[in-house]
Amino acid sequence: MKLSFTKEQDEFRNEVRQFIRDNLLNNNFKIQSKGLIADCDINFSKAMSAKAWIGFTWPKSHWGQGRSYVEKTILNEELYKVQAPIGYHFLADRQVGPSLIHFGSSWQREYFLPRIANAEEGVLFCLLFSEPDAGSDLAGIATTARKEGDYYIINGQKVWSSEAHLADYGWLLAKTNFDEGVSPHHACSEFILDMHLPGVKVRPLINIAGEHSFNEVFMDNVRVHKDYLVGQENGGFKQIMAQVDYERAGIERLMQNYPVYDQLIDYMKIKQLQNKRPETYEWAKDQICQLEVEFQTGRLLCYYTAWMIDQGQKPTSQAALCKVFCTQYEQRLNDVAMRILGPKSMIRNSGPGAPLDVDVASCYLWQPSYTLQGGSVEILKNIVALRGLKLPRY
Amino acid sequence: MDFGFSSEQKMLRNSFKEFFNKECTPDLVRELWDDPRGYSEKIWKKMAKLGWLGLIYDEQYGGSECGFLDLFILFEEMGKSQLPSPLFTSAVLSGLIIDACGNEAQKRSYLKPMISGRSILTLALLNNGGEQDFHSPEIEATIDEKGEHRLNGVRWLVPYANAADAILVCADAIGSESGPTLYCIETKTDGVTCTPLNTLYGENKCVVHFNNVKVTADQIIGDIGNGNYCVEKILPQAVVLKCAEMIGGARHVLDSTVAYVKERHQFGRPLGALQAVQHLCADMNTLYIGARLVAYQAASRIDLHMPADKEVAIAKAWCSDAYKQMTWIAQQLFGGIGFTEEYHLQLYFKHAKECELLFGDSSHHRAKLADAMGL
Repeated sequence: MKLSFTKEQDEFRNEVRQFIRDNLLNNNFKIQSKGLIADCDINFSKAMSAKAWIGFTWPKSHWGQGRSYVEKTILNEELYKVQAPIGYHFLADRQVGPSLIHFGSSWQREYFLPRIANAEEGVLFCLLFSEPDAGSDLAGIATTARKEGDYYIINGQKVWSSEAHLADYGWLLAKTNFDEGVSPHHACSEFILDMHLPGVKVRPLINIAGEHSFNEVFMDNVRVHKDYLVGQENGGFKQIMAQVDYERAGIERLMQNYPVYDQLIDYMKIKQLQNKRPETYEWAKDQICQLEVEFQTGRLLCYYTAWMIDQGQKPTSQAALCKVFCTQYEQRLNDVAMRILGPKSMIRNSGPGAPLDVDVASCYLWQPSYTLQGGSVEILKNIVALRGLKLPRY
Repeated sequence: MDFGFSSEQKMLRNSFKEFFNKECTPDLVRELWDDPRGYSEKIWKKMAKLGWLGLIYDEQYGGSECGFLDLFILFEEMGKSQLPSPLFTSAVLSGLIIDACGNEAQKRSYLKPMISGRSILTLALLNNGGEQDFHSPEIEATIDEKGEHRLNGVRWLVPYANAADAILVCADAIGSESGPTLYCIETKTDGVTCTPLNTLYGENKCVVHFNNVKVTADQIIGDIGNGNYCVEKILPQAVVLKCAEMIGGARHVLDSTVAYVKERHQFGRPLGALQAVQHLCADMNTLYIGARLVAYQAASRIDLHMPADKEVAIAKAWCSDAYKQMTWIAQQLFGGIGFTEEYHLQLYFKHAKECELLFGDSSHHRAKLADAMGL
């Protein structure tokens, strides 16, 4: 139980900080706090790729660096402090790559992995999972992929697809088995969908923060070649479940609104509140320290999850628990921040009179999504109970 | 970042576990709560023989020179078992103070016999307001007609005072402009009365009255006016070891609740199959793992002699709330049976509240955290 970083790890962290200074902060980068997927900037992704920081934990045999999840957590922690624009490669790096490494065909790996690792043009990925009638119940999807010769004909509708309007490819889950009595868990397949194929239509959805982040995606008789089926036909659900732990495990769940926290503390240190309303300051100080306790606890949970993965342990329950904790912390953070900052915190887009540089009102409006996206808190608690504590099913 | 244990630590933990499982039953705990001295002499001697009272002290005083983490593991396992014993007040609070601030003669007179199991020490920390006494001890050492120093005052919730051989206490002393002075006073001294209190958590705690108690210069630990320093110096370690006890207790609460909801059937199925119950168990699990991590983080830093003010505050703040909340959830899930004195859950429910209130609750430690953060 040595819960401090090694010299090498500290050096790596400093290296990342320097990189951020060189590539962002010294170039007048504006630190904002938005959705989970930060802004897309292919040039920043290319700069990261030049440092071999995309495909960080992929095996060396597959265009990766074979580095540890603890180190990846260090990398992500620093990137998320400033909300670095990693949106271009984010999903591909975190999910597409590992899925292809485990389940992809040789040509899929040879085609996509180096392009993702090198942040080349044309490999921005979005996810096509949820549907209007299938959210938590992912197996209940209705999008079909019917085999006709060498092609699958895709028909259906996806929803909540972040960055689908920018994406080159979609990672799609569709039904491929239509036999009676087959369990839905054995009836789906994963595909790589070229978003520019005829029949694919993307419609923006505006969220309550007024932002266009996610979309509806309609697929109308889209012809996808069988070479774009990933892994086993009808094995899609199993394949997704194998990867979902890694989606849940990241420190990004704790740091989405870090700029709010960081700027809030600076605000407190300037002690404007203290001079005007000392009793409110005392209350605010107590609130912030509770946030700090929770933040530090969440941080340890994230590093512990990463360490478990590095030890070769299955992180299923721990990753779920970690995400529950971190996303609930983030919701509290925005709520408390606005209460401390007072009514002027409602001024949007850091307009005149807004107390912080970051748009904390916007963060507050984003927050209902934190405990929903990537597995709702309720589903995750089921996982902790059933898989972690081995409680019986109903 | 290494969250694993060495094989020596695992072996040590197993030996602690086996000992407590064998020696300490829930029935014994209740017996000892009713006992006037509140601990088992037999078990105490066994622990002394195993070297556990001197785990981290120098060999020259009979200690085993083990690391801080080893002691942490001992308290974690002890917290699970709920064994009432003077270990914390004697080997930790008092022992650490004398080890840090006592002179050689005092270490030989007090530390060595304590480690061997021959004597028990205790620290009288809380003043009349129930506060950790740092700047207003409310106990005065004055000079009487004969020119002797006399102590007058009262101390509350002093652990095992009526079984202890000596009490460490801070008093405002003559000639000390800079603050209270720490005295080590033998309990058999004239004027010292220790009366057991009936409190929420049944472990032995007394009110101690000092009535014209004669004190001499050789009873001063450290320097005149330096009493606060002596106590403050060891408090971080003490607080973290209290957190160890807390996470030990919390672990037992989690495990026994999960086991119970798998066994208990209602509506034709185990309680644990109901989603509301599953989510409460998941909540307990989350509180527990967070508590364990922050407690070990503080312990790890102390073990490595790194600054740990912030981490100690975070640990006590989180553990205070988490352990308590876990016991509330557990009481809910055990239903009526958890509300009986006969059932074991009440030991932990009470333990959690006491541990929350001693050495600062979460709001106290948030204030310390604010200082560490420069707010």
